[in-house]
Amino acid sequence: MKQKRSTRLVLTLMQVLLALVVLLPFFWMVSVSLKPPTEPFAIPARLWPDHPTVGNYVSAFRPEFRTYFMNSLVVSLATVVITVTLGLLAAYSFTRAQIVAISALVGLVVLAQMFPHSAIIIPIYKMMRSADLLNTYWSLILAYVSVTLPVAIWMLRGFLLKLPAALEESAAIDGATPLRVFWDIVVPLSRPGLIATSVYVLIVTWQEFLFALSFTSTKEMRTLPVGLNDFIGQYGIRYGELMASSVMVSLPVMAVFFFLQRYFVAGVTAGAVKG
Amino acid sequence: MRKDRRLHWLLLAPALILMAVMLYYPMFGTVYESFHETSFLSPDPKFAGLALYRRILADRTFAEVVVNSIVWTFGVVLLQNILGFLTALLLNQNLPMQGVLRAIVLLPFILPGVVAAILWRFMYDPQLGLVNSLLLQMGLIENSVAWLADSRMAMASVIVAAVWKGFPFSMLIYLAALQNVDQSQIEAATLDGAGPTRRLLDVTLPAIRDVIVVNVVLTLILTFNYFDIIWVLTRGGPQSATHIFPTKIYETGFGQFRFGEAATYGVFSILVLAVLVALYAIVQGRANRRRVVA
Repeated sequence: MKQKRSTRLVLTLMQVLLALVVLLPFFWMVSVSLKPPTEPFAIPARLWPDHPTVGNYVSAFRPEFRTYFMNSLVVSLATVVITVTLGLLAAYSFTRAQIVAISALVGLVVLAQMFPHSAIIIPIYKMMRSADLLNTYWSLILAYVSVTLPVAIWMLRGFLLKLPAALEESAAIDGATPLRVFWDIVVPLSRPGLIATSVYVLIVTWQEFLFALSFTSTKEMRTLPVGLNDFIGQYGIRYGELMASSVMVSLPVMAVFFFLQRYFVAGVTAGAVKG
Repeated sequence: MRKDRRLHWLLLAPALILMAVMLYYPMFGTVYESFHETSFLSPDPKFAGLALYRRILADRTFAEVVVNSIVWTFGVVLLQNILGFLTALLLNQNLPMQGVLRAIVLLPFILPGVVAAILWRFMYDPQLGLVNSLLLQMGLIENSVAWLADSRMAMASVIVAAVWKGFPFSMLIYLAALQNVDQSQIEAATLDGAGPTRRLLDVTLPAIRDVIVVNVVLTLILTFNYFDIIWVLTRGGPQSATHIFPTKIYETGFGQFRFGEAATYGVFSILVLAVLVALYAIVQGRANRRRVVA
């Protein structure tokens, strides 16, 4: 469609404005992270660092930070693997099984996505305490798998519904066992769905805050978001370091997102737009 | 066929059991806890009947939490959806740099919530923050404002931060919906002489009506439950000016070890959620039926 030149100009200006609104806080975060210790205290705040340095990154990468990073990595990766595995198995049954109760069960999955985690955290905390799991990786992995699983099932179900069942049927007629069919046909064909779901689960668990805050009590078990929150009190005035840590927390998940963006966007919007 | 069924139940079992134990069963646990009193001094739960409900309903903070939750939820949902929709419209035009801009706009959405909150806490700092610096330099304010410490400004400030973080998600869904709109209808309307506003009102909006409704109810639910941004920015303060259900539950439970009262707040928030979820089920059901008919 042809647009008038003035319309294009207005639209372009709006695009620039939008980019500014989104990017300004990011720009400032990176800028402060590169400022030497006294510069963040300049009044009024300056957008550019006068004498950029990576010193903040070096000092922010202290041993605790490395511990938090490892904890986040272990918990997130374990959650991704477990959620995606259980999610694919369940989603497969949800799309292929001839079980009467199936639509009721799908309803329970949809409902589970909307649970207020703060409202059920007290009993979960008590369960973890009596199972002696508090302050362990397992308390977080179990909690994370249970909150990401419903969405994962939903996303994977969307992908599986689009796969033609004919391929599986002909393999079954050729004498392949159900497990063979699943492993050799369903798993490879659902790869885009598996990637999209993994990215989603990673984004959610990498930043999860409420459970991590409630279930971990020692520095050795803290994850990055909780560790970062602790920084506010302790290093409240060392803004350079705080921003450097923030950048380092954000980079891994942003990198993953940008490489796998197209899968992810397809996965999220498929569920929401097509229902 | 029967063996097949057994296999499918086997595949479903781990997910179903986990969800039952970790999500559905604790919901009853919350109700149970709300009838039992614990505190830091007496950690053993004692049956309290409706005492905790009476205490909370008589407490002034409960009313504050309810009002704050309403202001917060509607404020964020309204702004986030309007901004998300306008952004989606803008990014759906044929303009250069569209791809780059789409990637840029998604940045706040992937930024971890706690990082976004810390960043905004720093942005709002009365002396060192960028918000005051920019507004002062542009002459929009005369003195620094303590955005988060001033009880009249705190709620608006956390809402702005949350909208900045959340609008890309709404944008993503609206953009996908806009791209699904039948182009031939838009062209037909153009030939009939409809301008951009008429096309938007008469063709585009009706075509994506279902997506708008579902998106709004979905963000209602997510926003009502959102904890990270408020907790890191204000801890519910100053006084209780920004306390919403999730922050109040966390503070009561893990800050004061009053599990029973935290659970009672939890029961109230589950009741609100039940209403929202029912709403969601109704609009989703209607949308599906319309799709079947059409």
